[in-house]
Amino acid sequence: MPSETIVSNMLPVGGLITSNEQVMPNESVNKVAEKFFGTTELDAIAVVAGEKPVGLITRTKLLFTLFRRFGFELYGRHSIISLADTNPLIVSEQRPLTDVIDMALQRPPQDIYDDVIVTYDNGAYCGLLSVKQLVIQQSNALASSILQKEIASARAQELEKISELKSQFLANVTHELRSPVNAIIGLAELLRMAAEKNSIEQIKERLSFMIMSATNLRTIITNILDLSKIEAGKMTVLYQSVDVTALIIEIADTLRILVGNKPVNVEVSTPIIPLIITTDPIKIRQIVTNLTSNAAKFTDSGKITLMLKLLEERLEISVSDTGIGIKEEHCDKLFVAFGQVEDAKTKQHTGTGLGLTISKNLVELIGGTITVSSKFGEGSTFTVLLPLHNNMAHQGER
Amino acid sequence: MQNNKKKILVVDDDDLHLYTTRELLQDEQLEVITHKSNHGIGVTNLVRELQPDLVLLDINMPGISGDMLAKLLRWRDTPFIFYSSNDEESLKESASRFGARGYICKGDIAQLKNKVKQYLMVKRLMTCI
Repeated sequence: MPSETIVSNMLPVGGLITSNEQVMPNESVNKVAEKFFGTTELDAIAVVAGEKPVGLITRTKLLFTLFRRFGFELYGRHSIISLADTNPLIVSEQRPLTDVIDMALQRPPQDIYDDVIVTYDNGAYCGLLSVKQLVIQQSNALASSILQKEIASARAQELEKISELKSQFLANVTHELRSPVNAIIGLAELLRMAAEKNSIEQIKERLSFMIMSATNLRTIITNILDLSKIEAGKMTVLYQSVDVTALIIEIADTLRILVGNKPVNVEVSTPIIPLIITTDPIKIRQIVTNLTSNAAKFTDSGKITLMLKLLEERLEISVSDTGIGIKEEHCDKLFVAFGQVEDAKTKQHTGTGLGLTISKNLVELIGGTITVSSKFGEGSTFTVLLPLHNNMAHQGER
Repeated sequence: MQNNKKKILVVDDDDLHLYTTRELLQDEQLEVITHKSNHGIGVTNLVRELQPDLVLLDINMPGISGDMLAKLLRWRDTPFIFYSSNDEESLKESASRFGARGYICKGDIAQLKNKVKQYLMVKRLMTCI
């Protein structure tokens, strides 16, 4: 329910006034009776002296008196104040709905359906409020308060879930950071031992392992920082004309090094050379490199294909592999930070799972989309769709 | 000479951790066998074949939780120590919950050497009695 229609039972009654009929105290009973005859929907009239309300006439009570034997003859020419309820319920327009309802319903049974007189702060007559209207408003308020409670509790649940995800994320990040640091500490100790023994071979081997660990640590830290930068909306986008073909060929070269001795072919397929689009080349490189290093990690034999396809107004970049593939039920979790981690103790794959989250965020930052299709045991294809031309004016921090 | 070195089996999913642990413990005159866990497959068979004096078990491995392996090992009556990059508190908690003989935080080299030696010493004393 949109907020403007939400009725609160703390609503001041000033806004709920149903009529502002009034007569002077010295008006004749006949005249007032005619008013009631003439306007069937009129239930009550306030008697106002100067600006102050001094009494209330209700249709039922007035007509009841007049319709008795000789009623008109007896009272017709009297001033209306003589038949008015001179002690009606008068409330300030600022009073909340609930208070007024309580007061109205505490009246003696014969007065309980009488309209309530509402005054301004200075005591001047403002209008009448029917009990019917009060009850309608009260039930609206109740309904909307139930709705508000439901909305609030749904929101609370959502926040709880987010905070749970965040703390799980933190637990995973901590573990992912500790692992390479601990390896570095172990290797440093081993290096010390090797140095004492003057074993150059061991020193060489352990140094290269240490560099590997440190590089791995740097990647994780960069990923975490990137992700928090994206979340904080501080990631800078810089559009320029880019030859994507050259970029993809370059990434493929790096991929061949990454694949190393594994029997995996790296292929590039592109329609035209050069293929110039307006985009942020640093982001494209980061996105595609992320995809290719995943492909390299999970493909032991076969091929990895980097394909460029020119669609209408869009460029498709896809990375296909013949690797282990992804089970269908895991596909939607791929782009969630640490989504691959069922819980801190059972991992589905090695790695932090941050790469794809970052890729997705980066793709969206430069106006594109990323999807995955995969067959478990056969391979995966990640497809990025990008606009051919981003408006160079729309850049800067996102 | 009959090999009377104590046998330690290290189970982990990370090659580097296996390497460092092996090198560090070999320096303590222990026979160290490393096993790169592949979804936990083969660990119990390996334990039956090798009959190690102690298993160092990572509890963060892909495909299988260390907790699960711990249950299997306990069933086989094989002593094991949790060995992980998790923080000390959660390790301590897991260790007592799954009947490990203790826990070692990766990266704490002194703790690694001391706890392994300590355990082997206690075991020797127990068998003497």
